[in-house]
Amino acid sequence: MSYWTKKLAAALLLLLTVSMLTFGAMNVLGDPLFNILGPIAGDVENPASVEKIEAAKAEYNLDDPLPVRWALWLGAFVTGDFGVQFSEDGQPPVSDLIAERLPRTLQLLVMAQVIAAFLAIPWALWSASHANSKIDRGSTVMSFLLIALPSFALAVMLKWAFSIQTSIFPLAFVANDPFWTRTYQLLLPAITLALPAAAIYQRLLRTDLITTLQEDFILTARSKGVSRRAILFKHALRPSLFSFVTIFAINTGALLGGALIVEQIFLIPGLGRAIVEAILREDFPVVLAIVMLIASAFVILNLVVDIIYSLIDPRVRSS
Amino acid sequence: MSDYGREVTDAYESTHSSDFVHVDSAAESLAPQLAGASAFGGQGGEDLDTVKRKLGFGFWLAIGWIVTVVLAAILAPWLPIKDPDANLIQPGERPPYAPSSEFWFGSDLDARDMFSRTIWGARISLTIGFSAIAFGMLVGGSLGMVAGYFRSKWDTAISFFFVVLLSFPALVLAILITALLDRTLFTISFVIGVLSIAPVGRVSRATTISFADREFVLAAKSLGARHPRIIIRELLPNVVIPMAALALLGVAVAIVAEGGLAFLGLSVEKGATWGKLILFGSGSRDLEKAPWISMAPIMVLFFTVLALNFAGDRLRDYFDVKEASL
Repeated sequence: MSYWTKKLAAALLLLLTVSMLTFGAMNVLGDPLFNILGPIAGDVENPASVEKIEAAKAEYNLDDPLPVRWALWLGAFVTGDFGVQFSEDGQPPVSDLIAERLPRTLQLLVMAQVIAAFLAIPWALWSASHANSKIDRGSTVMSFLLIALPSFALAVMLKWAFSIQTSIFPLAFVANDPFWTRTYQLLLPAITLALPAAAIYQRLLRTDLITTLQEDFILTARSKGVSRRAILFKHALRPSLFSFVTIFAINTGALLGGALIVEQIFLIPGLGRAIVEAILREDFPVVLAIVMLIASAFVILNLVVDIIYSLIDPRVRSS
Repeated sequence: MSDYGREVTDAYESTHSSDFVHVDSAAESLAPQLAGASAFGGQGGEDLDTVKRKLGFGFWLAIGWIVTVVLAAILAPWLPIKDPDANLIQPGERPPYAPSSEFWFGSDLDARDMFSRTIWGARISLTIGFSAIAFGMLVGGSLGMVAGYFRSKWDTAISFFFVVLLSFPALVLAILITALLDRTLFTISFVIGVLSIAPVGRVSRATTISFADREFVLAAKSLGARHPRIIIRELLPNVVIPMAALALLGVAVAIVAEGGLAFLGLSVEKGATWGKLILFGSGSRDLEKAPWISMAPIMVLFFTVLALNFAGDRLRDYFDVKEASL
């Protein structure tokens, strides 16, 4: 088997395991019939309820053994049929909810990563070119503090400072506002996610830059009279960016978790709020779909990281 | 959750087998040779040994804070603090009350004393933090030692188990278990504990490997000591110390993880944790009227996490803990 076949197989296997565990746990530990019908699920005396129970059992294949139901669910899932939202009136499809919520979470993630990169790269260049000076040590302490600060704590503090004490950023996210207004509403949550991420990136990039700056080719450039600025931007930055790019990709998965939490504080109706609401109402198809979405995101990101690794260092593929 | 940040940097550091301060030390150790040559000069550094051999004032300050918080949490029922659930309405004034000599950290909208609520919150948050990591240390640590000592088949199987655990998205597992089971103190600690098995186990394995071929182990073997004796009497004392450094970092991660779960509505159902206290005070109205409701637990949580991180980092440098690069 080639390197990529193995990687893909492992990724698929992981997704299958996640889906099996999630589906199994929800059906064994929860009561799907109750989630579909509510209180009348236990009402076996009343013929009208029994009829509904039988209808629901037939519609959702509840009498089949668990592996069969899992296979049926999986078959539907991969074709984009995520089932229906049990807890919503009229039971609209889960895909409607995902289509509404996912873009907001994605936009938040993209904004956070862009801001983090724009903060981290100049910050790292600056601190690497002043390595071990007093200000560099100060900035190291700064990044240490930022990394220790949990995202929810930072979110509450920023919300208080910028939306309540001053009204620089709006408090509410309004779904019907035009795109750019909504982007502005997402800015503070994005900054919340970006600050600790920028600190992580800065630490790594600074280290790599310092290593690169001690290479012979930098000395050569220096002796040829290339300016400090040109050395930093043209000679040192590019070869130092590789591990930054890798961490950037890995950290996207971490930011997804942070995004779900930050959404709660800034009241953004994204995936995070969707899963909290679904858990409260025990709406299993929604939880299942979101869990699978997060798991797929992680798996895809890991594959992307592997691809980046193998592009940087071809030895990875042959090992 | 910002614990992922920790994981990410740890993952990075493991591949580069260097860390926060080691990076600086590496640059510094190169500095003398390159002092004239370096393009940017000014790499003046302290002597490597003096940097490493001292734990420093900051370390003891951090330990002091941790001990204070832990003692306050343990002794909460006997401390002369107010009842955390009592509505202490002051005559002629409407709650929330700002911080004062009466309410050190202020009160919430129901006139409950935030100082005492924060201390009582510490009881649950710290219990989760310490018991989760204790579980991870016990399971991950012993699995890692078995893998590192016996190698061969044991190592292959256990390392595979760690890889599977690591590749499973932590957030998904946490949501899944806490959404389905009763959210008791035990469940939450268990979930976070399971998530800590693999990272802890890999360090334990790597440390064990680095000691398994040393002379004193060989001596014990040649004197006829059996495997359990070698593991417990010879290897364990050497593995435990670096693991203690890791445990401090782990407790910080676990406390933050609980806070993250609280914001997803998935923390313990009964009682207030730091995460839940911050969550309760984070609504726009509460923040506007009484920012101290959330700021008090945020500050205590932040200082505790910072102290744990700092003390753990210092210990890690002191004992020169290497990650799973072996």
